[in-house]
Amino acid sequence: MSGIAFLAALLLWLSSPFPPGWFVLLLPAGWLLVTAGVGWFGYMWPKYQFRWTSYVLDAEGIEIRSGVIWRTITNVPRSRVQHIDVSQGPLERSYGLGRLIIFTAGTHHSRVELPGLDHAVAFALRHHLLPRGADDAV
Amino acid sequence: MPSERGLHPLSFVFHLGGQLRQLVVPGLVLLVGAGSAGYQWQVWVLILLAPSALLALLRCLSVRYRLDAAEIVISSGFIFRNERHIPYARIQNVDAVQNVAHRLFGVVDVRMETGGGDEPEAALRVLPRAALDDIRERVFAGRATSAAAIDGAVAAPQPAEAARTLLRLRARDLLLAGFIDSRGWIIVSAAIGLLWEAGLFDPALDAIAGEDVDGRGFIRQAFRALAGGGMPSLDRIALAIGGFVLLLIVIRVLSMIWSLVRLYGFHLERRGQDLRAEFGFLTRVMMTIPIGRVQTLTIREGPLHRWFGCAMVRVDSAGSDATGERGAAKRESLAPLVARGALPELLHEVLPEVDLTTIDWQPIDPRGFRRAIKISLVFYALLTVPFVVMLKWWTPGLLALLWAWAWLDVTMTIRHLGWALADRAVLFKSGWVVREVSVARFSKLQAVTMTESPFDRRYRMAAVDVDTAGAGDLHHRLGVPYLARETAERLREQLTRQAASTSFRW
Repeated sequence: MSGIAFLAALLLWLSSPFPPGWFVLLLPAGWLLVTAGVGWFGYMWPKYQFRWTSYVLDAEGIEIRSGVIWRTITNVPRSRVQHIDVSQGPLERSYGLGRLIIFTAGTHHSRVELPGLDHAVAFALRHHLLPRGADDAV
Repeated sequence: MPSERGLHPLSFVFHLGGQLRQLVVPGLVLLVGAGSAGYQWQVWVLILLAPSALLALLRCLSVRYRLDAAEIVISSGFIFRNERHIPYARIQNVDAVQNVAHRLFGVVDVRMETGGGDEPEAALRVLPRAALDDIRERVFAGRATSAAAIDGAVAAPQPAEAARTLLRLRARDLLLAGFIDSRGWIIVSAAIGLLWEAGLFDPALDAIAGEDVDGRGFIRQAFRALAGGGMPSLDRIALAIGGFVLLLIVIRVLSMIWSLVRLYGFHLERRGQDLRAEFGFLTRVMMTIPIGRVQTLTIREGPLHRWFGCAMVRVDSAGSDATGERGAAKRESLAPLVARGALPELLHEVLPEVDLTTIDWQPIDPRGFRRAIKISLVFYALLTVPFVVMLKWWTPGLLALLWAWAWLDVTMTIRHLGWALADRAVLFKSGWVVREVSVARFSKLQAVTMTESPFDRRYRMAAVDVDTAGAGDLHHRLGVPYLARETAERLREQLTRQAASTSFRW
């Protein structure tokens, strides 16, 4: 059945100029499909990201897990923290969120980000991570 | 007594030279554009450039520096005055460059780098030679008092006078280094050769020289012969091969000459806690790297290195440019060529805690082979697809050949991947044609990462990488792929713990 339909479609396609007139009718459907796909992705992706992002804070430093498909665990010892930003975009501000950005002296991971924190929690993390005293003097 | 000092009186001449060089391009544009109608704006550009050149001159005349007990103070500018204080303890390395003109007048171009930023933090353009020695002594002495022992790497600070030669390269060694090091050239020339053979240059060549040019497209002709009979004539083959060999020889000789000129009189010595290297025939480079500031050390052995029983050693300091562009030329190698026998001794000076002969290398997971070979086989299969047109029924033969190579390549690559934990450092090795071993002290690790790709997850495997200051993209990877997940987890935890228990001293 589907084979006949396919053959018919093929014949129709071969015998008509490209793009055929009825092709225009497909455009809204295609547009809807793409929009729905992007929308679904845009809606679901942060959810997956949220599920796969976590952190552990201990006396030695911070451990950040992130990535949905490529999963990465990054450890930054406290003594390697150069400085820390807590930043907020307008959307984040309206929800009382903030992101922690840790800067190290490294090259590939000179900037380690942890987004989606409660703003107060981000500050607390920063307070905990920043080196105290002069143990890092050169 | 700290006293203010200016640059060398001739400094402005060199600045003027630099400015003039900047004017050369606009000047050329002007000359070229002079014939056409709209060249007047270019004159205006030149006139506008003149005051900026003048300002630069004034600025260079205004530069003053002072060597205090613990810091160097550099002030500059007439209108906008700027004073920069750099503590000796923060200085990563002191480099000095002398080109021919500099040497004629006995002056040097001094650069000091601290950890941050893209540019040297202090560039004293053109000082008298004696001032450089003075700066180096002061910087060194200041550091010895302010930071008692750097990183536990070296016990007690030695007096600055105790200089010991670690490596001296004679002309013969330099020629050998140049001979060995022309690997990049070979790749370039081979690529050009391949393109040539593939006939990409044909349209141009046909336009210039007509249809049939000797000595071109040998492999293509060989393929044609295989595909449809009609061997290319013997002298054509000879000409093509001869030309290629000649090209290789010329490149090697050029590389040897370049190495001789660039590294002439290479001399590496240890003075107290500093490594000092000096080299160059026309442009003389003097670099100073404190041993405690060595972030990573890489030993590199190509096939020719092994043939001649030697190796290349490179160190990365945090001051060197991460992108590997600016500083690469001069800080690339601690030892461009060192005999295998002298290697342990040299390493002992730089990294006393690591003894390469007793390293307990850990292999990667055996399943790594299965994963790598799959990728390799598919890759080579795809590679042969375009050849079907040319080779027809010979294609499976080519595929078999490539797959045999893939098998060898992957087997050897996997065998030579490894990691090891030493007393106070972590080591990674990779490569079977060009073998590289990198050492990073725990105290220099900035971050530890463990990555799982979707394929890794399927096999319960992971990769572990460490990050250091001054690790460039083109440098040897400080990490190891294809570890069993449990091993990777353990390694990550161990490295993190070790890094956290040491405090980072740049």
